Amino acid sequence: MFKDPFDPKTLLKPRCSCGGDHAPADHARLSAVPASDEQRFSRVVDAAVLRAVFPVDAQRRQFLKTVGATTAMAAISSVFPLATAREAFAQGGAPEKKDLKVGFIPITCATPIIMAHPMGFYSKQGLNVEVVKTAGWAVIRDKSLAKEYDAAHMLTPMPLAISLGIGSNPVPWTMPAVENINGQAITLAIKHKDKRNPKDWKGFRFAVPFDYSMHNYLLRYYVAEHGLDPDKDISIRSVPPAEMVANLRADNIDGYLGPDPFNQRAVFDGVGFIHVLTKELWDGHPCCAFTVSKEFATQNPNAYRALLKAIIEATAYASKQENRKEIARAIAPTNYLNQPETVLEQILTGTYADGLGAVKKDPNRIDFDPFPWNQFAIWIMTQMKRWGQLKGDVDYAKVAADVYLATDTANMMKEMGLTPPDPSKKTIVIMGKAFDPAKPNEYVESFAIKRS
Amino acid sequence: MTTLKKSLGLRAALLSLLIFAAIVGLWQIAAQPPAASGPAVDPEYAKLVGAAAATGAKSAMPTPADIGVTIWKHLMDPFYVKGTNDKGIGIQLAYSLGRVLLGFGLAALFAVPLGFLIGMSPLVYRALDPFIQILKPVSPLAWMPLALYTIKDSAISSIFVIFICSVWPMLINTAFGVASVRREWLNVARTLEVGPFRTAFKVILPAAAPTIMTGMRISIGIAWLVIVAAEMLVGGTGIGYFVWNEWNNLSIANIVTAILLIGVVGLLLDQGLARLTKLVTYPE
Amino acid sequence: MDRPLQRPLISVEGLARRFGDSNQPAVFENIWFGIDRGEFVCLIGHSGCGKTTILNVLAGLDQPSDGAVIVDNREIDGPSLDRAVIFQGHALLPWLSVMGNIAFAVSSRWPSWDRAKVQDHARKFIELVGLKGAEAKKPSQLSGGMKQRVGIARALSIQPKMLLMDEPFSALDALTRGMLQDEVLRICADTNQTVFMITHDVDEAILLADKIVLMTNGPGAKIAEIVVNTMPRNERHRNDLHRHPQYYAIRNHLVEFLVNRSKAFDQEIADGSYDPRRLKLVKPGLAAVNPPAEVVPLRHTL
Repeated sequence: MFKDPFDPKTLLKPRCSCGGDHAPADHARLSAVPASDEQRFSRVVDAAVLRAVFPVDAQRRQFLKTVGATTAMAAISSVFPLATAREAFAQGGAPEKKDLKVGFIPITCATPIIMAHPMGFYSKQGLNVEVVKTAGWAVIRDKSLAKEYDAAHMLTPMPLAISLGIGSNPVPWTMPAVENINGQAITLAIKHKDKRNPKDWKGFRFAVPFDYSMHNYLLRYYVAEHGLDPDKDISIRSVPPAEMVANLRADNIDGYLGPDPFNQRAVFDGVGFIHVLTKELWDGHPCCAFTVSKEFATQNPNAYRALLKAIIEATAYASKQENRKEIARAIAPTNYLNQPETVLEQILTGTYADGLGAVKKDPNRIDFDPFPWNQFAIWIMTQMKRWGQLKGDVDYAKVAADVYLATDTANMMKEMGLTPPDPSKKTIVIMGKAFDPAKPNEYVESFAIKRS
Repeated sequence: MTTLKKSLGLRAALLSLLIFAAIVGLWQIAAQPPAASGPAVDPEYAKLVGAAAATGAKSAMPTPADIGVTIWKHLMDPFYVKGTNDKGIGIQLAYSLGRVLLGFGLAALFAVPLGFLIGMSPLVYRALDPFIQILKPVSPLAWMPLALYTIKDSAISSIFVIFICSVWPMLINTAFGVASVRREWLNVARTLEVGPFRTAFKVILPAAAPTIMTGMRISIGIAWLVIVAAEMLVGGTGIGYFVWNEWNNLSIANIVTAILLIGVVGLLLDQGLARLTKLVTYPE
Repeated sequence: MDRPLQRPLISVEGLARRFGDSNQPAVFENIWFGIDRGEFVCLIGHSGCGKTTILNVLAGLDQPSDGAVIVDNREIDGPSLDRAVIFQGHALLPWLSVMGNIAFAVSSRWPSWDRAKVQDHARKFIELVGLKGAEAKKPSQLSGGMKQRVGIARALSIQPKMLLMDEPFSALDALTRGMLQDEVLRICADTNQTVFMITHDVDEAILLADKIVLMTNGPGAKIAEIVVNTMPRNERHRNDLHRHPQYYAIRNHLVEFLVNRSKAFDQEIADGSYDPRRLKLVKPGLAAVNPPAEVVPLRHTL
């Protein structure tokens, strides 16, 4: 949008390219809502400085032609702290709101949201974020809808459900970043240690954290692939993660597909064993997400950017294996996950006790990748459709693009020096069966066990 | 007579102590971690799991001694703040008490005057009776989603839930107390040409006060029961949140500590109101 | 028209009361009588004849279905501090002390008085009924007789134009009742109080009343006649009442009425001589001392 002021061919004076009746250099000062790309800010700063040094356009062009843009910048930098000005400007899309509340459910999926607090990712963006532990998914949804939270940790299907008005009034909700991929497991009670084939699970009582969760869809998918109808042959109920271990211990359920730390915690307490990691069903499946209302994102673009940046940085940091022990230590205290550090360490490092006496190693047991692939959203909606949560026709691609903000994330990643993936190139293979996001209806139809 | 009474009290206290000792003793024995019976496990594996799981058993209940240590730890430092989600048990209790007193106080301000009106006017009584009958048996927690949805603030919602659960006993008792003020006391006021306000405050209020206070005592008991559940649901702060947070961590010792403290505070609230009730009770 | 030009202090004129709609038979109807200033009038009749209702109408606590009560030439329309009521069940406010109960009445009578003045005034009446020293006691700490004394003190303390008493001593034991009767007699003499009292105790009526109004049985109860107590007040003493020459004559007349005539009064007046506005004033006591020839001898049935 802004022309490079160091390009000698550019005329700086006449009009701002935004169409306003002001010089481009004044754009940032005059427009209340600055443009979104950070580079544009640096150019605005550079242009302003350059204009101050060479008030006459002709002189500036002459100067640039003679010395070249790089030298010009260096020369000016020597008299004017350009870098500082740029940085000040980048933040000078100063957040409209600095004191933010971000809700989370105390599970390892929320690792980037949580760790960003003790490890300073939020404060680095000039934000004063309070991370608030919340009791359950319905509560986190209601508190988010009530604007008590500015942003919240949700399950990846939830922003879709909220936007579609399933289980609540439709409110436009966006999901600019996925938190974690993988990181869930099916945990069974120790007494079932010999029933490793799902075909033997008839009559089992399972728990999942929420109706609109990857856990629910993956468990249904898994048992259905083994020939069991999840609505008839087993029972599935929604149980808050924290209550899963207690229920398993009390023999109220036979197992659960739940988030960590509660799989590993069942092992730690000798109550259950890890039957299978969800990674083994679908390597790279999304689970939880960082979400904000569309209203918050549009009304507080700078705060939103800063928040997203902090989350993406934290996610990137968490994706590095060597940082995982440090993160486990940071999020173990009562204020955050309130779990034994060793449990978290096993989950994050992937060297874990399986509950049956073996130590297993899988570094990608949980991983962190912020990119909100629209294909994920489409797959989730096919499952909503498959199990009768979603009725009627739906424009899969449009809803996916509206809610899963892949473009925002890609821009932000670029800005941070990360390489965003090509949004169109995502292959999804679940238990050996490929998913073509271009043909969602055919995909739903292809299943033998379904409700619709 | 007095010596007999005294010795009865003493004997009762002794018996209480004995029962307490028996419970604690049985608990201590029952909660002993079982001797290693399972197959010997790989030491590398043992490091990754809890002590009980390493021997092939489920993690055990904490012993009374563990709980004693936990209680002591909490009582030594009840007011620490280590972040939004980690505050001392004293602070959590204070949050809960604050919510209860606020919700209860508002309920009293609402229920006592309205109960007065209902008790004095058979017309109002009949008009409001169906509403009261329908709303009264609703579990207070059932209001929570509605409150969250309409009020859009979880702190106010939990106060509202306290309000709605403590309003009924006070309303019903006030109405009943006012309606059953003895006719002759009202006649005394009438023959003395006492105005309606003076009659309300000097005759009806003191006459109905014991019944009203009984309603308040029931209310505060319910409010204290409900706040724990409400806070477990909504979270954030309060003793209910503390219980929920420790449940997440499967920390039975902390939960038992909280249960004991909830019991003690509930007892104090009840006794406080019992005292007040005694002050306004009159023998006839 | 027919009414006397000079009304008594209290004039009960054509009173009737029915419960429910107007088709129901009246509990009592066409009740006419008057009470003069300083007079002690007792109303005697069986339970259910509406005695208490008449007292409540006089007090302003109940509305008559017909007729009116005129006090000091004005029709009453509600309770008044001029007419103090002493209730059968004492009706003390149990949460207030003796002093509190009386002070409540005093400060209702004189709202502008300060606390000290109210208490001084109240104390006088506590002393009058002999309860000095019991000021701070709660009603529950008092015996039945003491409670009724407080009730009397409360009624007197507002210095009413008249006292209305509804069987004030019926719940007391004989000894206490006697003492209180003496007390009331003394106080009324001292203060020249106008009193209307309901009783079904014949001896109590003879001891206290100057006139005794006899009421027939309900429904449709009427006043049969008014017995004048011809025993002078200063000759009425509880201990030797039965020695008074007029005593048995009066007593027998009353008992005869209660036992027989109250039931059969309608036959007695079948000749049409009865006029509820001009009630017979009978003086059985005088007949006993110098029996006039025309008086029908009394039948002694008891």
